[in-house]
Amino acid sequence: MNIKAEAKAKAGSQIKVITGNAAAAIGAKLVRPDVVAAYPITPQTEIIEQISKFHANGEMDCELITVEGENSAMNAVMAASLAGGRVFTATSSWGLVFMYDAVLATAGARAPVVMVNVNRETPGIIAVSCGQQDMISTRDAGWIFLIAEDCQEVLDLVLQAYRLAEDYDIQVPVMVHYDGFYLSYLSEGVDVPFQEDVDRFLSVLNDQPERTKLVPGGKLGCGTHGILGGYLELRHKHVSAMERSKAKFEQIDKEFQEIFGRSYGGQIEEYRMDDADVVLVGSGSMCGTIKTVIDEKRDAGVKVGLLKIRMYRPFPGEAMVEALKGKKAIGVVDRSLCFGFKGGPIYTELKAFETQLDGSKMVSFIDGIANTDITTANIGQMIDATCDLAEGKDVREVTWVSYPEAQEEGGL
Amino acid sequence: MTGKKKGKLTKVLDYLKHEDPFSKGVAFCPGCGLELLLRFIPQVLGNDIVITGTPSCSAPVLLGQNNQSWHTLSYFGTLMTGAAANATGLARYYRKAGIKNTVVCFNGDGTAADIGFGNLSGAAERNEPFIYICYDNEGYMNTGVQKSATTPYGASTTTTPFGTASKGKNLRRMNLALKMAMHKIPYAATATLSDLGDLAKKLLKAKEAKERGFAFLHVFAPCTTGWGYAPENTIEVCRRAVKTNYFPLWEAINGKIRMTKTVKKPKPVSTYTELMKKFAHLNEADLQILQDDVDYEYCMLGGLSTLEAECHIPESVED
Repeated sequence: MNIKAEAKAKAGSQIKVITGNAAAAIGAKLVRPDVVAAYPITPQTEIIEQISKFHANGEMDCELITVEGENSAMNAVMAASLAGGRVFTATSSWGLVFMYDAVLATAGARAPVVMVNVNRETPGIIAVSCGQQDMISTRDAGWIFLIAEDCQEVLDLVLQAYRLAEDYDIQVPVMVHYDGFYLSYLSEGVDVPFQEDVDRFLSVLNDQPERTKLVPGGKLGCGTHGILGGYLELRHKHVSAMERSKAKFEQIDKEFQEIFGRSYGGQIEEYRMDDADVVLVGSGSMCGTIKTVIDEKRDAGVKVGLLKIRMYRPFPGEAMVEALKGKKAIGVVDRSLCFGFKGGPIYTELKAFETQLDGSKMVSFIDGIANTDITTANIGQMIDATCDLAEGKDVREVTWVSYPEAQEEGGL
Repeated sequence: MTGKKKGKLTKVLDYLKHEDPFSKGVAFCPGCGLELLLRFIPQVLGNDIVITGTPSCSAPVLLGQNNQSWHTLSYFGTLMTGAAANATGLARYYRKAGIKNTVVCFNGDGTAADIGFGNLSGAAERNEPFIYICYDNEGYMNTGVQKSATTPYGASTTTTPFGTASKGKNLRRMNLALKMAMHKIPYAATATLSDLGDLAKKLLKAKEAKERGFAFLHVFAPCTTGWGYAPENTIEVCRRAVKTNYFPLWEAINGKIRMTKTVKKPKPVSTYTELMKKFAHLNEADLQILQDDVDYEYCMLGGLSTLEAECHIPESVED
């Protein structure tokens, strides 16, 4: 071992050049799950191939269930979770939709399932391409949603997701999202934590009270009929747990930093926001490109920053208001659509906080749908338009950046 | 359940080694075949089973309401679409954690033969270590008597009603049990409530077989409300279903079929159909179609049982 590698080892990690999917699989291995169930779908397949390999080589001591469809994947891990196990599954797009009833039931049962969803365009039109529409289709399912920007964050979020899902005060399933194709197949350097550090990070859970488990002869059941007040009680507890998860996620981020030396800022990440007049709000892999363009714009004297959404459910409204308050103009970039509304989903949701933003103006950018690249040029265009808005110029409320024909077609 | 009685009954009672975990009064119809079956299972298999239940006739009693329950079993409320996958998750986790378990995945024919057949077949293909029981009342009785894949030819249901242009269901029923046996699972069997000793034996065999993998029981469980017969006739309906070969009793070990009860002189199927309203509109020609279907199914079963006796059946794969 050379000196550099030794130093790295002391810091508790090792750099590997791996894909986002491999990062997810390694994350799943490091948490030592009891049960993994999954079904292949592009662009998620590599995750379960990797896990199958780990399992076949004896590196992963879990029950691996190669189910006949995604619906069974979610049903199997939900039940295994309620029985007391640590579970993992992964899917994408149509797979997420095929397990939709079980996704809802998992949340309703408060099963601390962790699932990776590799974002891909979703039913409606067949498209083997990136988009966050699958995430949007399940945003009201009652899960906690986390979104990764790069391969490192994919791995780190998988680890953090277990701390959140299985926390005694939370017990809500967590979905870790990252952009298909852009991150799933992108290889980059990833600091892979050592097993003992991950064990230490997760050991906090062992010190908590044991959650209720379905055991043979235990005279307990799960999946009762919720009626009137009983139903309301469960729903209210669920909503409250979602609210608590915001602060919990911030705390987990701090503890993560203490062990692994990386911090992301919790619910949101702020990039060059302090003195910014205009801000782009984004999520996922687009944020890397946005940061690059912001650096260029800053060099040219434009006071622009980025607010990256890391936790999408619960919606980090308070944290966003705190960060965006008083900014002259905000451009929200959505990689999905909100049918029935003109603007994108995140834009539409942020609009609910408009009165708390002290007069910040807002516009919606829709881009990156179906693998249309969110290029540096596109982002430059969005920043320029947001600056125009800040200066009081007339800017369209909604712009489909990679589809200029939208303007000619009217409507938006 | 220790009281011994004279005669034949003693044999059945001998199998009832455990308490009835259900409340004495439950929300089933009088004469419900399902209730008898549901109370029977834990008395034979033990109260330490983990039972799963779907939205169905069994749901009100099996799943309870809010924090109240009709029984003391550990249970899991599944979705109809994923019942076998839920049971898979439970059984696999218990195996991983070294927890001794008997998971009983309890479903109606709507779940088993229709909406949940995919994951039932998947669990059987993977030879998952639990017992799947289908209580077959030949349709969606809980939602108000709609047809399912196991609804027989000619039966009038609310989605295959008898009318001027309809004779009821114009299709033959799916042979679910045979389909499951074809998965070459350690154990598959049919049973019904008129032959409780046979049912008890098969439950115990299923429990033993699930140590090697998937065990499937198809239990014929008539519905007094949905089929239109007097509540006191439930057992008689079962008895005649067996005596007419409408519902033959057999078992299959690793796919190898064996009749567990042979009816020497099968009665015409009309002696079965005459008991209930759902076939009341059928004329002789219609009944003949049903009879032909019964004969065909029985003939096929007989053929398979002799054919498979001649074939070498590979040992099941141990893991």
